[in-house]
Amino acid sequence: MGKTAELLPGTLDLLILKAVSLRPLHGYGVLLRIQQISRDALKIPQGSLYPALYRLEHQGLIAAEWGQSDNNRRAKYYTLTAAGRARLREETAGWNRLASAIAAALNTKPEEV
Amino acid sequence: MLARLRSLYHALRSRRDFEAGITEELRFHMQQYAEELVRSGVAPEEARRRARLEFGAIEAVKEECRGARGLLLPAELGRQIRYAARLLRKTPAFAATALLTVALCLGANLTILAVIDSILLRPLPFPEAQRLVTLFNTYPRAHVERDGSTLTNYYERRGRIPAFSSLSIYAYDTAMVGEPSSVNREQITRVSPDYFTTLGIGPVMGRAFTEQETTFQTDNVVILSDDYWRREFNADPHVIGRSVRVDDTPQIVVGVLPPGFRFLSSEARLYLPLASRPENRGPSRRHAGGNFIQMIARLRAGATLAQAQQQIDAQNASLELDDPQAKMVADAGFRSLVVPLHADHVAAIRPSLLLLQAGVLTLLLIGTVNLANLLLIRANHRAREHAVRQALGASRAHLIGEVLVETTLLTLVGGLLGLAVAAAGIRLVAALGADRLPLGAHIAFDARLAVAAVLAALAMGVALAVPVVWFHLRVSGNALRSESRTATTGRAAQTLRQSFVVAQFALAFVLLAGAGLLGLSVERAMAVYPGFQPDHVLTGQISMVGKKYPSPLAGLAFTERLVDALGRRPGVLSVGVSNNVPFSGGNGKSSATVKGYVLRPGEAPRGIYSYGVGGDYFRAMGFRLLAGRFLTAADSRRHERVCVVDEDFARRYWPYTSPLGQQLFEGSQPGPDSEAFTVVGVVDSVKQAGLTDEAAQGAVYYPYIYRPERNIFLVARASVPTDSLQFTLQRVVREMDSGLAVNDIQNMNERIADSLVARRSPALLAGMFAAIALLLTGIGTYGVLSYAVAQRNREIGVRMALGAQPSQIRTQFLALGLRLVIAGLALGSAGAWVMGRVMQAVLFHVTALSPLVLGCAASVMALIALVACLVPARRAALVSPMRVLTEQ
Repeated sequence: MGKTAELLPGTLDLLILKAVSLRPLHGYGVLLRIQQISRDALKIPQGSLYPALYRLEHQGLIAAEWGQSDNNRRAKYYTLTAAGRARLREETAGWNRLASAIAAALNTKPEEV
Repeated sequence: MLARLRSLYHALRSRRDFEAGITEELRFHMQQYAEELVRSGVAPEEARRRARLEFGAIEAVKEECRGARGLLLPAELGRQIRYAARLLRKTPAFAATALLTVALCLGANLTILAVIDSILLRPLPFPEAQRLVTLFNTYPRAHVERDGSTLTNYYERRGRIPAFSSLSIYAYDTAMVGEPSSVNREQITRVSPDYFTTLGIGPVMGRAFTEQETTFQTDNVVILSDDYWRREFNADPHVIGRSVRVDDTPQIVVGVLPPGFRFLSSEARLYLPLASRPENRGPSRRHAGGNFIQMIARLRAGATLAQAQQQIDAQNASLELDDPQAKMVADAGFRSLVVPLHADHVAAIRPSLLLLQAGVLTLLLIGTVNLANLLLIRANHRAREHAVRQALGASRAHLIGEVLVETTLLTLVGGLLGLAVAAAGIRLVAALGADRLPLGAHIAFDARLAVAAVLAALAMGVALAVPVVWFHLRVSGNALRSESRTATTGRAAQTLRQSFVVAQFALAFVLLAGAGLLGLSVERAMAVYPGFQPDHVLTGQISMVGKKYPSPLAGLAFTERLVDALGRRPGVLSVGVSNNVPFSGGNGKSSATVKGYVLRPGEAPRGIYSYGVGGDYFRAMGFRLLAGRFLTAADSRRHERVCVVDEDFARRYWPYTSPLGQQLFEGSQPGPDSEAFTVVGVVDSVKQAGLTDEAAQGAVYYPYIYRPERNIFLVARASVPTDSLQFTLQRVVREMDSGLAVNDIQNMNERIADSLVARRSPALLAGMFAAIALLLTGIGTYGVLSYAVAQRNREIGVRMALGAQPSQIRTQFLALGLRLVIAGLALGSAGAWVMGRVMQAVLFHVTALSPLVLGCAASVMALIALVACLVPARRAALVSPMRVLTEQ
């Protein structure tokens, strides 16, 4: 197992939105997808995933529907709603701004001051 | 927002689906994970275990999911209630104290509320009862405040006052009812035909009275109450036309009233026509009231009380023009007043009831403050826990919710207990004689009370939560920063607690002083000399009705034989009869005219009490003779025109001469000399209606033969307590005439005590409230001081280790307690002053700032405070420095 990073508060929601924006997923799928797209760098505590999913659904950012899983079992699939898509865009932009600002700040060399 | 609401709505609607869904979803998750583990080579058993383990606490996750969906409320509420209940169970002493406090305070309030509701608040049980009024004649300058109305008033006003849609008269009376073998004395009401129209409720079976039935000879009809119909006629549906024997005359039943029909506080079960002779309805009888006949009327829709009063005044003025008595009644300040029926009926008791309500509200305040203090102390114990939880992210809303749940759980359970207390309280109030208060028989425990209890409990719960929430949000934030729990934390919280103690002391002092003032008033009233010796005097009423007593003379002969027979019984000292006795509740006034006395301009003939007495009435009652002689049985027998006057009367008319030998006439006009009565004796003035009567009214006693009445009071003085005499009295009367019965048998002390019921009951209740308040204050003070000691245990230990004496420590805490007490008493004195001014009207011979009462109250409070402070102070002095210092 590679090195994993702790999730920053608030980033789980963003990751879930990103994960389900690629294609509809069930909860376990979301977990796997986040690990996959973060190249196993991020480890989601399993227990905290579902409250986040329910919260996002409650906020109308994702929608849930029961469907068939790959191995023919009943599973709940989450898809991104229009509101969710808009939120994902906003948050992504916000995150990128923050990340580049912090990166720039951390990369500052003494001669640049 | 809308989407969220919809989500919550769906979730609530399909709560079960939601639960099933989340369970399935989580199970699916774990199965998937376990399968993946199996694929990577883990044994199935181990895979499932690891899946469960890595997932964490499933229930907690579910709970969080519910919360995310806004579903937390019901489930969280249940959880918090369980949590609060567990906390309370862990501190049984606190829980019991708190529940008892709430139960007592709310119970007392509910009890008084029930009384006030039935007496003051609930409208009379008639349609549009707020339009019912009563009218009465008043002659204030003749000292006759209330003289009822007259037949003349009725016949002159009926149909002629536009503001009234209906006007009628009634008179309370008693009658001997039943066949000669089983005759009973019954309360009856004589009413005019339109009485039931005025009230708006009439017979459900049969009819009301007719105009013909208001004259003698044609008035042999009766209307039954539902109760009488059921008990005596077995609810016979064909009762109309049957007969009831009333005063030995058969009366035909013409109607039956609906169940629950009750006029004010009347106990009447039979209604008879108020019959009269036409010649008694004329102008000459316009002022012949005597408080026997009462008038009620119903305001026409849209008409006001002021209009009615104005129309009555106008009619009185026009009638006065050719009235020979006009000058006299004008001098007496005559007016006919129109007042609301309900308010008038309860006017006398209203101030006492409102005062009691104020008293119990004070008690509730004390209880609430006390509880707030106990809760604050409790909160302090948990300050660190709360601070940690807040630091770990527990939301404010969550904390507030938790506190609210805890306090309302307490007050709701306490409120339910309070309902039980109220049920007992209502019984207690009844035992104290509430049913003798106006409308007092209506006092009941009902659904309104239960609703009031729940609302009050909820309000109290919210009120109690406020200081605790404040404490947690403002004060416990610092708790983590202080170096340890025993360090002095929350100076603000301490100040709040101490001000609560001060407030409690102040309120309890006000309550105690108020109860003291009422109690002292009763004491002072009881100590008033009634004007006669009431000990060992038995009284009872006899109605001499029927064919055996066609004339007053026949009645006289019977009374003489009765007095004789009773006087020969062992233990009986003297026996007399009278048409009335003091404190009987039926004291109408009339007038007497002194021969040769000229009224000063503007002076009105005074209303005085007139008695017709026979046998040895004066000795039986224990009157004191001031001059001359008592009346005797011989005066009646020989038709002597003599009389005895009381001291008030004598002093008023013959201030400088001897009253003996003076002459007077019955009524407000002088008559021929042959009808004059000669004064032969002067006796002490008697408190006629109540011990608290202040005005000297004057009384004249005539030989019984001149004021014979069918209804007489028998008075017997015994050498022993009167209990055994009751049966003797009844037996003697039955032996002489089996058709007669003695009713209303009471000794004079009972009658006097009864007359004070409206004073004594409030005083007793106020005393009980004050006692509870003292208890609560004691508990509150003890709690706060104990806590102060516990909190400063370490400091005390250090100081003692450094050489402080235990006595110094004790003094320090005692001084703290006393400072609080003194502040409380100072505030309370101001409160007591205000309260005393408000109470002045219900006090008797006691000033609002009675030093005796205030001094006693202050001493009692100081004593309570001392006890409450001494225990914690002693505990402080016993702190062992070694133990405290090694504890941490």
